[in-house]
Formats: sequence, C-alpha cells, structure tokens
Amino acid sequence: MTTTYRPADPIWCAGCGHFGVQAAIARGLQALELAPHDVIVLAGIGCSGTIQNNLGTYGYHALHGRVLPTAAGVRLANPDLTVIAAGGDGDGYAIGVGHLVHALNRDLPFLYVVMNNGIYGLTKGQDSPTKPHDGRPPLDAVDLALSIPATGFIARGFARWSDQLNRLIEQALRYTGDRRGFAFVEVLSPCVTYNDTYAEWEASLHDVDADPNHDPTDRPAAHARSAVLRSRGSSPVGLIYHDQDRSATPAVEQSAPAAEERRTAYRTLRDRYAV
Amino acid sequence: MTLETRRRITDLNVMVAGQGGDGSLTIATLLSRLLGGHGYHMYTARNVASRIKGGHAAALLRGAATPCRCMGDHLDLLVAFDAEAIEMGGPWLSPDGIVVFDSSAGPPPDGILPETARVYSIPFARLAVRDLRRDLFKNSLGFGVVARILSVDDAAAADLLATRFAHLRPEVAAANLRALHAGFSFADEHQLRAGLGPWALDRIEHRDRLLIAGNEAIALGFLVAGGRFFAGYPITPASEILTWLERRLPEFGGVAVQAEDELSAINMALGAALTGTRAMTATSGPGISLMQEGVSHAGSAEIPIVVVDCQRSGPSTGMPTKPEQSDLNMLVHGGNGDFPRIVLAPGDPSDCFDLAVAATNLAQRIQGPVYLVVDQAVAQDATTVPPFDLDGVTIDDGAVIAHVDGEYRRYAITDDGVSPWALPGTPHGMSLVTGNERNEWGHVSTDAINRAAMVDKRMRKIDVVRGDLPTGRPFGEPDAAIGIVGIGMERGPMLEAVDRLAAAGMPISGLQPRTLWPVPEETLRFVRAKERVYVVEHNAEGQLAHLIASVGAPHGRLRPVLRYDGAPFRPAELATRIREMEREAV
Repeated sequence: MTTTYRPADPIWCAGCGHFGVQAAIARGLQALELAPHDVIVLAGIGCSGTIQNNLGTYGYHALHGRVLPTAAGVRLANPDLTVIAAGGDGDGYAIGVGHLVHALNRDLPFLYVVMNNGIYGLTKGQDSPTKPHDGRPPLDAVDLALSIPATGFIARGFARWSDQLNRLIEQALRYTGDRRGFAFVEVLSPCVTYNDTYAEWEASLHDVDADPNHDPTDRPAAHARSAVLRSRGSSPVGLIYHDQDRSATPAVEQSAPAAEERRTAYRTLRDRYAV
Repeated sequence: MTLETRRRITDLNVMVAGQGGDGSLTIATLLSRLLGGHGYHMYTARNVASRIKGGHAAALLRGAATPCRCMGDHLDLLVAFDAEAIEMGGPWLSPDGIVVFDSSAGPPPDGILPETARVYSIPFARLAVRDLRRDLFKNSLGFGVVARILSVDDAAAADLLATRFAHLRPEVAAANLRALHAGFSFADEHQLRAGLGPWALDRIEHRDRLLIAGNEAIALGFLVAGGRFFAGYPITPASEILTWLERRLPEFGGVAVQAEDELSAINMALGAALTGTRAMTATSGPGISLMQEGVSHAGSAEIPIVVVDCQRSGPSTGMPTKPEQSDLNMLVHGGNGDFPRIVLAPGDPSDCFDLAVAATNLAQRIQGPVYLVVDQAVAQDATTVPPFDLDGVTIDDGAVIAHVDGEYRRYAITDDGVSPWALPGTPHGMSLVTGNERNEWGHVSTDAINRAAMVDKRMRKIDVVRGDLPTGRPFGEPDAAIGIVGIGMERGPMLEAVDRLAAAGMPISGLQPRTLWPVPEETLRFVRAKERVYVVEHNAEGQLAHLIASVGAPHGRLRPVLRYDGAPFRPAELATRIREMEREAV
C-alpha cells in the first residue's frame, strides 16, 4: 500500500468562483486520462494559489508573481510532464505581469489559468489591476495576449458557465498536450466576500462561442471584437483565439549523449583551452 | 645588442592600449600565443571603460617562468596607440621598460614615462593607411616591432601571424603579413635587428596547461558535474557563463535560457531543479539583489540550486567592469528568514572548476541554495592552470529516490534533516512543494511544534555536508605569527607579497578560504593561532573580516587591508601596505 499526501479541502468561501475552476481542471485531467504523477500544478500566491493542494497531482507553490518562469523551467527540463500554472489577477497581472508578457511570447507548451476576481482576496479585498478605478477601465489581459502573436490559444471563461469552462480547459490541455504552444485561459471568478460580481459580470459578458460572427481563427478580428465589446462595457467569453493551423510538435527524443561519448566531449571542450 | 647585454625574460608584463575598436587586443593575443608557445605561465586581463564600444581599452598580459595569478608590479612593455595609453600605462612602466608608441598624431606626451625607458616612436597608423589603406593593419605593423624587441625570429613571427589570421580571406591575411614585414623594416631603421633585440624569450619547461577564465571554468565545471539547466539575464561580468552554456548545454541534452530578468532566471532554474535537473543561474550584485526572494525560497521549499555571483563594484549600478568583493554580507545574510545555505569562493580558474563541481553536488545533497562567489577579475581574467581533472568528478544526487514504497512525505523529518526526494513523474511520489511553512506532507501549517521542528530539520542539513565543504588553500610559512587571509582575486597578489615579505625577513602564513559560509572551523583555527591576521579584501567595510569575527575570531586580531577603487592589488602594493601596518602594529 502506497500513500502520499491527501488532497486538501479548498480554503475558499462558499460560492467562490475558484470551485468551478478546480472542477474544470480535474475534469480536464480525467478526460485526457492523465495519471496524477505525470501532472504538476504550479500556483502563485493568493486564494487561487492553493488550488494545487486539492488535486492530488504533484503540486508547487511558487513565489508571488513567479509561477510562469517556474512553470517554464519545469516544462523545459522535463517535457514529459503535463504542466499547469495557475494564479490570480494580482499574481499574474500586477506583480507578475512582466513574466506574463514573456510567457505569451516564449510560447512554451503549458497551460496558464488565471482566476480573475478584480481584487486581492487573501489580503482582504484590496483592488487589483482588473478592478475599474475612478472611471479608468480595468487592465484586460486577453487583449494583451491577443497583441502578442506567438501565443495560439487564448480563451476566457466565466466560473458560473461551467459547461463552457470545462470545454475550454479540456481544449487548452489538449492543445498544450500536443505541444502546440502556450495556452492562456482567463477565468472570471468572482469573490463573494470582497467583490461579488456574479450578476454584474453575467449581464455584461458576450459569449463568442454562441456568436456566429465570431471566427476564433481570425486573430485581428478577435482583437477588434474584444476592443469594441470593451468600449461598450462588455467582455468576450469563450474560445477567443485558436490557431488551428499550428501543427502538433512530435515529442523530442532526449538526445543526451551516452556516458563514454560524454566523457570524450567534455575532454574536447576542456582541451580547447590548452596552450 | 650583444648577447651578453640581452635580458632573458623570466617575467614580462605587457600593456597594449588604445581606443576601443583599435584592435589593440590583437597584439596581446599574438603575444599570448608567442609566450604560451615558449612555455610561459600567463595571466591576461582587460581594462575597459564601462561602456559599449570605444573608450580607452587595454589588454594586459603577463608571462612568467613561474605560475602567476595577477599582473606584476611594473610594466616592461607598453604598446601605446595613442597619448592616452601613455598616460594610462606610463606611470606603471618599469625604469628599464620599453615603449612602442604610435606617433601618427605627434610625439608621446612629456613627463609621464621614466627618463630611462626606451621609446620607439613609429607612426603605425599613418603608415598603415598610406601603404596598406587600412588603419587596422597597424596592429600587424606593431607586432613586427614587438617581435624584434623580443628577439623572435622573423619567420616564427610570420608563422604566428599566419595562424592567427588563417580564418580571414587570403588577401586580408596577405596584407597583414605585408604589414608585419613593414614592421620589420621600421625595426631595422631603429637598429632592432632580427633575432638580436634587447630582450630574449626563454624556453620554459612546458607541461600541459589550459589558458582559461574563471567564468568559462565555472560553466565547464557545472556541465561536467551533470548541470543541464541554466537560466540567466545578461549582466557584466557574468554574461560569459550564459553565452558559454547557451552554446554547449544543448549538445548534452540540456537547456540554457535567457530570461526576461533575474527574478525569472532564478525561478526558471528553481522550476527545472524541481524536476531533478541540476540547475544554475549566474549574475552580478544587482541581479543577486533581485534573486534574494528566490534564494530564500530555495532554502524554504528545499530545492537545489547553484547561484553564481560575479561581483563588481557596487552599490547599485556601481562600476560594472571593475572588481569588488562587497556582496559577501548579502550572500551570507540576504534573503528573508532563516535557512541553510553554502557560500563557496574560488580564487582562480582551477578553483572555479572544482568548486562549480562541488557546488552542484552540494546543492543536490542539501536540497538547497549554494552560492559560488567570484569577482570580476577571477571571472573574466584568463590564466594558465593545470588541466582540470575530469576523471575525478563524481556526481552525487543525495536523497533522490527512484521508487516510492509505502508512505511518501516530501518533507519527512529525518535525523540528518534531508528528506527522501521523489521527482515529479514518480508514481505514488506526489508531493506539495511550497515556500510556506508546511507539515511533512507539504500541507501549509502554522502549528508551533511543527514549525520549530521544520526550522531545525532544515538547519540540520548543513551538518550532512560540513565535512565535505571545500577547504582553504594555505600558503607561506605555516608557523609564522603573522597571518594573511583573502579570497578570490586577492590570491595572486597575496602569494607574491608573502614571498617577498618572507625574503625580506617577515615570514607570513596565508590562507585562502574557499568556503565562506558556514565559516569553517579551519578559518577560525587559523586566526586563533596567529598574533595578527591581515584580511585583504576589495570593499570598504571589511566584510570578510566581519564574517570571520562574527563566528568568534578573537577581538582585534583581524586587520582589514581594504581597497575599493576598482583596481586589483599589485604584489608590491600589498607588500608595502602590510609592511606599513606591521610597523604600526609592533
């Protein structure tokens, strides 16, 4: 009988959007029939940064804002692992936004899920960059992602629309699993305690999956659409952009030289400096 | 010049200086091949302004019959392509030194060179442009004169040049050869006959040696120790490690990444290390400041990582191209919270290789951060060393387990503090790795009893490796009452200063500690056995002396010998400082 840690019960308040996100990730992993030991979930700091404790996979709790570089390091060092990075809007769009830009541009095949609730819940409700402030519109990370051509999978879910959310997470996991590239999924995930935006958001969201005029393979159109919706106080939700032309990358066989070959190679490198 | 009056070279110090982009390094490279070919031990350095291109640049080269780890006291030969080079190198010129000066823009400035120095003023640049249509050929012209000064056979000099320029287009190589011969003609005009110059090179008994800089030796050591992941952000004087590993790691199935900043670099390395891949990052003081959160996290979450600090003059941006040793406090005490760490300090390329190997293994064994700290001089200056012992390198993965049987707790509290480590991908080994305080399972915990037990567990890990930490390198007279201690770039000047002081009747016992933290018993024992110990360091606060004092060195016994002007000690300067301090002390 082998045992390891017992997955934790979520620390979130009843009604927190993060429950829906956790359920979607769990379902996605199940749908892809991934063994828990082949999956690592890395999370940042914040309420969302406890999701890795609840899933039974390998889990990692990163420094505040640094989940993306850490996940990149994991993915580069061991391409056999399924890598999921998760975090909140404070973690990803404030302290860690510098890394977000470069993760989008570096396009390594792993999934990044941001639970956006507009506030810092764990520190009791301070505003985050996605909270409208004095009439200034919030930062929109989906727009940011659309502006960086390297990333080929960009989606936004809403915690309450679970069917769509489950579908998006599963699609994203298949996309990264095929080594197509970086998948960015923002989930609007209200905080019932400090920023209960369920009703407000639900009324304002535009479901692009149900919109026959939305073509998720047309990046400029998706970008323009998002800008128009934002100017009306709305946001697109669904599969916003999906580069379907991008082919799956075959798994690279590790090409590390054998021991004897390695020793010879070390010697050659050293002897370059011989005088 | 008769054979009798000729000086046979046992120690030659050369500066080749001009405006950056002058190609002044070419003559230095040719000279280094020449001296290397004769079996001389060498030390080479560059003295550059902290800017991109242009500005005054100097290549420094020392060739000696015995091993050398720094430049000597005086310049013997100054090849000066402009007046500024005279101003820069002149005060350092030996009274019997020789100057080869490019007089295209006029005679050398007055009042700087010793009156007894011999000066060959030749308008290299003007002649190069007139006869060869390119200013750059002045280097080959100049080398012709330098070869004659050193009584090098004309054919040998031509061979050397041909080899150096073999990669160039044939017509360019041929033009350089013509330039060399033009140099010979000027030498003839100045009575410098072939093979009959004022100085002559010896044939030094030659064994296999490497001419390598510290940064290259660190990168090679990490690779040979099984290092397979590197992330870094460009910074002077550490960037060579990044570029070296970017080129070499992929050949060994490894990965090197240029990150968007140092925060990313260290966290990428932590991510890679989390999978069991041996990981390293390298930077300088400003980057180390940013990485403090990552080092603390590695200490808490128990992740092996090697962090190289190529120190430069601080604080803040400081003088990026100048050496200093002023990050020691940050390395030993930086990062929030209490956590075990190791700080190793190589003093030359041999140390760099050996300690990079040691650091990589130690990090795995303590599952935590290990610093490798050098300074700009050790990092970037190249020196000849015996070939690194590749066969002696062993790889120790510590407590990594390939299979999990029964119960698995990532942070199991063990006698030695080191927990068995199942890497991601291992069935039944699932774990929660976190920088929060946690229980043995990895679940966050603020329980008081657990907290104390976890802090103790982490701290105990140092004892596992204490006996294997690199020992210091002693030198001088072991039983002398006076001691000298220094790390990194101080090694070279200390060795020579101690020899000279001993010859002058002042025996001194020296120690170059190679483990700074934890401060080894050996260092303390050394200090306790002396009446006075001079601690030579490049900083204004005496950080190394404070560190040794902090673990119990007797009060007042340590005498800091400080320097923070960005220039390394020359042996005579150091000897004089110590002689003066000793006079005041007695």
